[in-house]
Amino acid sequence: MDSTEESSPKSELSNTIMDMDLHNTFAELMFHLLPSPYESQEINHLTLAYFVISSLDILNSLNRVEKDAIVDWVLSFQLHPGTKTDPNNGQFYGFHGSRTSQFPPDDNGVLLHNHSYLASTYCALAILKIVGYDLSNVDSELMLASMRNLQQPDGSFMAIHIGGETDLRFVYCAAAICFMLDNWSGMDKEKAKDYILNCQSYDGGFGLVPGAESHGGATYCAIASLRLMGFIEDNLLSSCASSLIDVPLLLDWIVQGMDGGFQGRTNKTTDTCYAFWLGAVLKILGADDFVDIKALRRFLLTCQYKYGGFSKFPGEFPDLYHSYYGFAAFSLLKESGLKSLCSELGITETAAKGL
Amino acid sequence: MASGSSEVEEEEQERVMLRDRPEWADVTPVPQDDGPCPVVPINYTEEFAEVMDYFRAVYLADERSPRALSLTAEAIHFNAGNYTVWHFRRLLLELLKVDLHEELEFIERIAAKNSKNYQIWHHRRRVAEKLGPDARNAELQFTKKVLSVDAKHYHAWSHRQWALQALGGWEDELDYCSELLEQDIFNNSAWNQRYFVITRSPFVGGLKAMRESEVLYTIKAIEAYPENESSWKYLRGLYKGETTSWVNDPQVSSICLKILSSKSNYLFALSTLLDLICHGYQPNQDFRDAIEALKIPDLDSQDLDIASMICSILEKIDPIRVNYWIWRKSRLPHVAQ
Repeated sequence: MDSTEESSPKSELSNTIMDMDLHNTFAELMFHLLPSPYESQEINHLTLAYFVISSLDILNSLNRVEKDAIVDWVLSFQLHPGTKTDPNNGQFYGFHGSRTSQFPPDDNGVLLHNHSYLASTYCALAILKIVGYDLSNVDSELMLASMRNLQQPDGSFMAIHIGGETDLRFVYCAAAICFMLDNWSGMDKEKAKDYILNCQSYDGGFGLVPGAESHGGATYCAIASLRLMGFIEDNLLSSCASSLIDVPLLLDWIVQGMDGGFQGRTNKTTDTCYAFWLGAVLKILGADDFVDIKALRRFLLTCQYKYGGFSKFPGEFPDLYHSYYGFAAFSLLKESGLKSLCSELGITETAAKGL
Repeated sequence: MASGSSEVEEEEQERVMLRDRPEWADVTPVPQDDGPCPVVPINYTEEFAEVMDYFRAVYLADERSPRALSLTAEAIHFNAGNYTVWHFRRLLLELLKVDLHEELEFIERIAAKNSKNYQIWHHRRRVAEKLGPDARNAELQFTKKVLSVDAKHYHAWSHRQWALQALGGWEDELDYCSELLEQDIFNNSAWNQRYFVITRSPFVGGLKAMRESEVLYTIKAIEAYPENESSWKYLRGLYKGETTSWVNDPQVSSICLKILSSKSNYLFALSTLLDLICHGYQPNQDFRDAIEALKIPDLDSQDLDIASMICSILEKIDPIRVNYWIWRKSRLPHVAQ
């Protein structure tokens, strides 16, 4: 631990630099073994892996891990139809999120217990892109065709065919999946767009479902989806006129939520992750200039943990989710040493471009 | 039929491993197949691994029994997000004809420790759907309980909105919002719920019909706490789709003037006035006088028009948003591009 950290009594809470070495160590440790408490999120194992692997990529440390092993592992989560499969069974043939949702076929070769998950499919494809895997090698035809089974009449998406909540998160996953596979046969874009627009609240932000309170994460899902689907042009700010969404009202809502960090909702406390969710929206809209960089950096650094990673609020223990979004937020702030981010895909630009 | 409650309590006292329980002696647990080169492995505890091994066994065997139901409760305890387990639990609830009111109680117990978990709330919804209109009071009570601990709980509000739409109970909702706002006028979730009620309740006449009374309510709230962003946003929201009405309603411009004249907490009054001007409002001399009376130091006196003056003031008094206010100034209709 270098001496500058010991000199200030509050050094563990408010640093002045983003400590790359510590964060690299943190991410690598997580890569090699996720501590026991993470077993309570085991169902989202692939999502946890996405946080770790994308962190390493942002930190420019992907060379520390074996990409081939990652590819094999991720591909092993793909749900392939059994020997006797009815293509119109309503099932979604994507990726599982974890081993606990993956079961061997029964004696007749039927995979009746397996249900793949939309969010895990997004994470799987994102990880594959991050490690440079050519997605045209992924068996995507059935995946996309069956993904339509998850879209609801109102345009929203369910995450799993046996039934689950429907909200903007899964619209985003669907859009990102189609975008990464460069194939929009997996969803009805117009219907999805209609659902998104129905989620814009009276104050300009977006709620997770129509009628819900404006929320930073939901707003990211809305804007990133519209962008991926091609409904938002480059640099919307210069025209500030979208026929679809009330841009000035949205901008005002986001900007009013800046309080050092970003608030996720009006009159709530700032939280590390919204620096990504809302910072990314501003970037997509061409408005990242509105961010008070110094104030945001200062806030994020108060959430930096002395042994690496970021916490939700200052003075708390770090977790993988807030660490990942902390790194992502610093990338948006163009912190030196970090790779730049493709805001709407949630992976680095090099990963997005397939370089 | 026990819905697993006794198993959960046992858990909390001193958990006996499944392999040591005689009632499970006939089951061979199915270990997890992590594949040849697991990546980002999780350091599973013995208890977690064992529960999932037994769950795999009963799930693969499709065992539909009370003990399987209890096992799902244990598995949920370890990972409340496991939708496969929840799905199997729902199948068992149906087949074993479990009293769904008991299941609601079970969910309430689990939610106490895991209230921010999507699967729990989804499960609650599925059970309530099965119970139909009978579940109405239970759902409104349950969400009220959760909101009494955390009045901004996003899942609880989401579930409450669903319950109102699916099961009814709108009649008292606006009063409930008022109650919450009396406790905390800054509670944006409660303001949002007000909007939800006035736009969707079959018992009120819709936004237009409710506008007058809601404007009065909101103006009172603004007068009490002009620094409350929620109330200003709600006021504007009351005119959604009818910006001209918002611009022309004298109550709106009056409240801006009133707050400005008070010289205290006038930031939103200024930004609202700016928005009004951008949508065609033409402020009279009273506004100009009120702004000048603020005596903002170092103000560029060359800004003759009121909108530019407001932007300049906001740049100074709201520095965290300085770039935004500079941009707003550049977008003012009269400013040469």
